[in-house]
Amino acid sequence: MTTRSAMSSGSATPLLIEMRNISKAFGPVQALRDVNLRLAPGEILGLVGDNSAGKSTLMKVMTGAYQRDSGDVLVDGRPTHFKSPHESRVDGIEMIYQDFALCGNMDIAQNIFLGRWPRRGLFVDRKRMYAEAEEVLKRLKVDVNSVFQKVESLSGGRQQSVAIARAISFNPRVVVLDEPTANLSVMATERLLETMAELKRHGVAQIIISHRLTDIFDVGDRIMVMKRGQAVGDRYIRHTDEAEVLELIVSGTPETAMTADQALAARAA
Amino acid sequence: MTAISTAPPLRRRLPFELIGGWEIGLLAFMVLLYAAGVVINPKFFGQPDAFSAILRDTARFGVMAAGMTFVIVNKDLDLSVGSTFGLVATIFSIAFSKSYYDLGIVASLSAAVLTGLAVGLVNGVFVTVLRVPAFITTLTMLFIGRGLVLGLTGGKTISYSEKAASDGAWFFQIGETNALGFNNQILIFILVTIVGMFALAKTRWGYETYATGGNELAATYAGIPTRRVRMRGYVLSALSATLAGLMSVAQDKGITSQYGQGAELIVIAAVIVGGASILGGRGRLLGGALGAILVTLIDKVLREGIPMTRIVKVGDAEMKVQGMAQLPPGAVPAFLGLILLLSVLIEPWIIRRNVFPRLWARVRGRPLPPVIEVGGVAIEGAQTKGSSASDRSMRARGPIGHFLARRDAAAIILAVALWCVGLYLRPDFWGSIDNSFNLMLSFTEVGLLAIGMTYVIANGDIDLSVGSVLALSAATCAFLMKQLGFDPATAVFIALVAGAAAGVVNALLTVGFGLPAFVATLGMFYMARGIGAWLTAGRQLSSFPEGFNLLGRKLIDALTYFGVAPARGSLAYDLAAALSVQTIFMIVVAIIAGLILGKTPFGQMIYATGGNRRAAEYAGIDTGRVRAISLVFSALCAACAGVIYVAFLRSFNPSAGQLRELDAIAAVIIGGGSIFGGYGTVIGALAGAAVIALIRALLSLQLILGNGQSFVMPQHWVNVFIGLILMVAVVGDVWIRQGDLGASIRRRLGGRRSAAPRTAS
Repeated sequence: MTTRSAMSSGSATPLLIEMRNISKAFGPVQALRDVNLRLAPGEILGLVGDNSAGKSTLMKVMTGAYQRDSGDVLVDGRPTHFKSPHESRVDGIEMIYQDFALCGNMDIAQNIFLGRWPRRGLFVDRKRMYAEAEEVLKRLKVDVNSVFQKVESLSGGRQQSVAIARAISFNPRVVVLDEPTANLSVMATERLLETMAELKRHGVAQIIISHRLTDIFDVGDRIMVMKRGQAVGDRYIRHTDEAEVLELIVSGTPETAMTADQALAARAA
Repeated sequence: MTAISTAPPLRRRLPFELIGGWEIGLLAFMVLLYAAGVVINPKFFGQPDAFSAILRDTARFGVMAAGMTFVIVNKDLDLSVGSTFGLVATIFSIAFSKSYYDLGIVASLSAAVLTGLAVGLVNGVFVTVLRVPAFITTLTMLFIGRGLVLGLTGGKTISYSEKAASDGAWFFQIGETNALGFNNQILIFILVTIVGMFALAKTRWGYETYATGGNELAATYAGIPTRRVRMRGYVLSALSATLAGLMSVAQDKGITSQYGQGAELIVIAAVIVGGASILGGRGRLLGGALGAILVTLIDKVLREGIPMTRIVKVGDAEMKVQGMAQLPPGAVPAFLGLILLLSVLIEPWIIRRNVFPRLWARVRGRPLPPVIEVGGVAIEGAQTKGSSASDRSMRARGPIGHFLARRDAAAIILAVALWCVGLYLRPDFWGSIDNSFNLMLSFTEVGLLAIGMTYVIANGDIDLSVGSVLALSAATCAFLMKQLGFDPATAVFIALVAGAAAGVVNALLTVGFGLPAFVATLGMFYMARGIGAWLTAGRQLSSFPEGFNLLGRKLIDALTYFGVAPARGSLAYDLAAALSVQTIFMIVVAIIAGLILGKTPFGQMIYATGGNRRAAEYAGIDTGRVRAISLVFSALCAACAGVIYVAFLRSFNPSAGQLRELDAIAAVIIGGGSIFGGYGTVIGALAGAAVIALIRALLSLQLILGNGQSFVMPQHWVNVFIGLILMVAVVGDVWIRQGDLGASIRRRLGGRRSAAPRTAS
């Protein structure tokens, strides 16, 4: 893994996404407080923390599902104001939701092209839709019986494959996975991690929200810990261990946050 | 108010739970309203016993509201209370009356109570065990109950004041004024309210109800038997309707077939005005009781009218004429429908948003209490569906297998089979041109409504107002031509605009204000019909220009009118004689609508919205727009049907399109639509419409019996039957198509053989 050390040099590579001082409140509840997040191209970032730490909220602010109260979201250094996930998709940000956000009543191809079904004249170009869907699934190495299968008849792992296929068919630069392994069997989890590595080889940056540290330590480059709406830690996977991350999750404070590079420097010192 | 307290005082007192700020506000509002009534109409409201009379009339609604509160807090709905009320009164009257069964008072009462109990249990079983949506179950029950009342009484009035004097005098005391000077019904009302109030606020029954309504899943996880709780709600609601029905027969000592009509509207509006949320989990019983008084009061004000003096000029002399400015028939349900809709909006938009506390804080210059943001989640909550159905089309083999795997296969087979039954029963008549023509006609009306309904059901909504919108547009059209002398083209155009406007209101309420579609369209169900009856003042209008009537004629008539009729005896002539203009119109609409739904991206958007609205939204589909367009399209289809109705019958009758919403929903469900959304095709809906039209034709077929006599089933019983068909269709959809009951039975029977590795990974 030579790429990893290249990434460690931090400021050398231009950041793909930078979130600065994000705050967000739901009524009296302060869900996010001055959170910073950086993501380099091709990097896999693990986002961990207790329930209600603000992980999903942060991601939804990034994709435009929620509107932030203050702070900046920069993509390629440009400030953005996404009003819906649809707009962030244009900039190459894809989110795979915990419940996959698929329409069970429609078949696999229709779901992969949800909302942007190819058309010929007035009508949906079904021939092209099914052909392209087949191709995307092949690229992902997912074997399903047929692209005509209704999604509600698929198992959880297969449904997730469809959700991922949907995401990568947009040729994204960032894929956000919200608790991707929560509903999966061991086998399916393993296949998902392979898929993530495959995506990384294609240069797709990924953010994975998970409770399972082992998964993140398997594929991740960097891990970010959140607690009560604040970032309390940022470490390189190579230079940390599960014990330290658990310590941060339980008793991290904004002072322990640092950046991964600062943490590395502190460790070396 | 000099010292500003920094910390809120500690509260040691437990929350009172029986009454809150909303109820106090309601009381104040009612006092004001009554005072206004006294000022405006002293003749009625000024009298000392008027107050007692209003309370007496409220009593029955108040008792029903007590049961309904349980149902609504459970996050359910019971539309059948009005017809249960009527049915119970009818059963009692038939059992008790000398001209029918002439039973004793106890036996009659038992029959009545058993009927009520049965209705409650049936509602409960369908909703909880068979998982049919509450509004569809109870709406069907409403129509079945109404059909039973009409069928049992034959539309006649029953009276037994003589027998009541001798037998069961103790029972009929309920309807009398007691020694204290007020009606005993008020006593029952107060008693039921107090008992119910404590049961809901202070007992485990009540806590279970709030938990079930608040989050049924969480309640189930906590070990609360939510099915039993919801069942209990329905039984309580039906029993309170039973009590109300008995109170009413005790007072009137007789019934008319109109008993209880529209009562569900008043009762639901009462409970919602009382602060309960149509979204479940909130509401107090006292609020429902106060709401009942308020709504009855409004109803009274509307019906009693306002006295006014008009100055009439007779020649040179000016005369003062005393009169009552009364609302015409139909206006009252229109207003009540409006009140229902407004009150449903109260909870999510005023109570939950802290509007009044915020206003109060602003007046006092205090910091505003926060508005609770729901984080982009619509107030009706996210819809998530189970994914139990396996994909049968993947297992299908061969052309027959593929046909059978279609969701609309059953409807097509059923339509053909029913047609064959007709041929078997009346071979002399069934296949004739005449009968086929009539079949096509009734098919056209249901078909047109079903096409629009398909769109609405496919994207997960429902439109209960199609029958009423049909009446509204028919009334508009007839009224404009007859009373205002409009030319047919303009009249038709305005009628269609009126129908579309009703659809726009539906769309605004569901999409804009986030109400569940069945509530929004239920309000329109009452309002549109009310406005239609209002326009025509309840009269029947007839004789329109012949050019207009052509819309409802045979094609050959239209061609002859324009002077382009083909030669008699030619094939074109026969064809034009068998087809009617409206059927052609319907087929054109069906082809266009079918192509859009099945082949275009917009059609896909509809299915996506119905399948998983959130997923569709994330995919960039404007689901609000999709749903709004569907609702307006449905209303427009209904409006077209209304115009055709007038043209075909050459007259307008205020009962136009009654029960048609049931026919249309049944057609779509039979034709492969799912009541939960995401499915439905135009072809299927047309096949379903054919099934409905054929069933109606078969049931009203004159049968020649063996002994030479003939038999025709009365129309009321036909309606009961159609209600049953709808229930069977929905249950079949929920259990056989969605739950794939067939496969699970096969799996159970097949055991090892079919333990296929289909569920791998």
